[in-house]
Amino acid sequence: MSFIAVEGKQVELDEDGFLVEPSDWNEAIVSIFAKSEDVEELTEEHWKVINYLREYFKKFGMAPMVRKMCKDTGLTLKQIYELFPTGPAKGACKLAGLPKPTGCV
Amino acid sequence: MKKILIKDFGSDDEVLSPLNPEDLLPIPGENLEDIKFKKIKPETLAKYDFSLDGFSALSLPIPQTKEEEEAIVNSFLKGLEKLFVKENNWGFLQPSVLSTEYCMQCNTCNEACPIYVESGRKDIYRPNFRPEVLRRIYKRYFSTSGKLLGKWVGADLELNWRVVYHLAELVYRCTICRRCASVCPIGVDNALLSRELRKIFSQEMGIAPENVHRSGSMQHLRVGSSTGMNPVAFKDSIEFIEDIIEEKIGRRITIPVDKEGADILLIHNAGEYVSWPENPAAFAILFEAAGLNWTLSSDSMGYEGVNYGVWYDDVQFARVALGQIKAAKKLGVKKIVVGECGHATKALVSIADRLAVGDLAIPREGCLPLLESIVTSGKIKFDPSRNNFPVTLHDPCNMVRLMGIISPQRNILKHIMAPGMFREMPNCGVDNYCCGGGSGFAVMNTQNFPNWRDNLASRHKARQVLEAFKDCLDPSIPKYYCAPCSNCKGAARDSLIEHFGFREKYNIIYAGLVELMVNAMVDIPEPFISWEEEF
Repeated sequence: MSFIAVEGKQVELDEDGFLVEPSDWNEAIVSIFAKSEDVEELTEEHWKVINYLREYFKKFGMAPMVRKMCKDTGLTLKQIYELFPTGPAKGACKLAGLPKPTGCV
Repeated sequence: MKKILIKDFGSDDEVLSPLNPEDLLPIPGENLEDIKFKKIKPETLAKYDFSLDGFSALSLPIPQTKEEEEAIVNSFLKGLEKLFVKENNWGFLQPSVLSTEYCMQCNTCNEACPIYVESGRKDIYRPNFRPEVLRRIYKRYFSTSGKLLGKWVGADLELNWRVVYHLAELVYRCTICRRCASVCPIGVDNALLSRELRKIFSQEMGIAPENVHRSGSMQHLRVGSSTGMNPVAFKDSIEFIEDIIEEKIGRRITIPVDKEGADILLIHNAGEYVSWPENPAAFAILFEAAGLNWTLSSDSMGYEGVNYGVWYDDVQFARVALGQIKAAKKLGVKKIVVGECGHATKALVSIADRLAVGDLAIPREGCLPLLESIVTSGKIKFDPSRNNFPVTLHDPCNMVRLMGIISPQRNILKHIMAPGMFREMPNCGVDNYCCGGGSGFAVMNTQNFPNWRDNLASRHKARQVLEAFKDCLDPSIPKYYCAPCSNCKGAARDSLIEHFGFREKYNIIYAGLVELMVNAMVDIPEPFISWEEEF
């Protein structure tokens, strides 16, 4: 566990740098996480994926399957990796403030 | 290499038995110098115990006071005493007692253990090392001769908090594959003792891996699955899997959910829905084509087949198993069939026998015999020439060595594979080696434990796979590692594909058995299996 300061507030992270409390998420956190996940510049496409993940999480309480994320955003897996070099689960989900995936996944 | 004696197990060395990359036995084409273990930050090392072998599965906080140290020892002793009392151990009392009392110290089991051998034969990983620690503690603190005479009667291990912590970590260096038990001349089950020790740590001391307990079985009981999938998300996944099926075979199938009075309730490991949706899709295609009267359940205890309790905690085990059985009862199905998941099959089909009595008795079986009967019934036409690529078969320890389900999967392959394309691995069937993800390892991803797992626990599997495909390693030949178990697939992805790079180097992909079956179905126009990224 560690903490980062975001706009004057202490935000708790797990050992892999994911938010412990998804409700702590805000846009400033995305810029901070982008650096650690090798995302150089946040583009409209990044935000499309991030907003999609957040909407899905709000509705279903978990991350969507990768295949579904690709279909719903209209991006291929290759494009997702180009946007988020550390991958959909580690990179994209972390920026969107989702918790680390659990279970036999 | 330093010899580690059991009496020194509680020594205050910075690391008792360090594991370094150069200690490992290399697999063909591997350069050990390329292996880098994750560097642990000094503040993490100061806070958590890494002193067994330099790795941490449990993030055990280092005690700060004498009182804290004593509390660790006392609570361990209290748990140990309970392990051998009928009222407190309804799970495995007899085999635990017999395995504790009757080991002859012949150490035949050493060479059967892939972790011991692949580690460069480090003492602490011997299958009989941790049980022997247990035996000596028990003798020292619970037998009259041990209490009085100590080391003069072989009770030479004095307890301190380090012994307890080392032992807690060490029971999470055994995949409980039970290969050691299968070679023991007198049937001692040292792997069971790993599991029974985990029970002391969890049930008495509240010590368990984060991913197995808090975000594992606790989350399962709270929301319906250790993946975090609630019933609404489950139904959404099913709809999406129907879309995948339509894309793949050109027509839509309605997957039955909550169909009362069906013959079969099929329960998958819910990880399939998240990571390998083609697997439940293939089941649905096969069951529909075979005309089976089946259903899935959207009950919060009816769609997740795993039971992480089977790895570490009888209470969690009972809670999950009872929930699953009740979900089946509620639908009034005739039997439960567990999908391609070894631990789920063992837990619900074998171990749950302890609980599923009286009103709770409901027939439960693994999927492989049913899949075999689909193939042999002739209800589905298969064209073996469609599976015209090299395939090898992984034997999940729980289905194969523990439960003896050996021939159905092989008989299926006989009917669906082009001639000469299926090849057994060396040491197949009951003599198989664990994927490296057994007993919770595939889901344990905290600290630097994944380094230990991917490099050591899965190493022998990597060696076997290379041996099975040695005549066709050329990447221009696509190859298929068939692992009919979600957990084994997770280990294959993390270790064989991502760590050892088998896809990139050799064009080996991994998936289950049902995908191969559907790939050979005459009625399916396009191949179901692809070596390319499809989306």
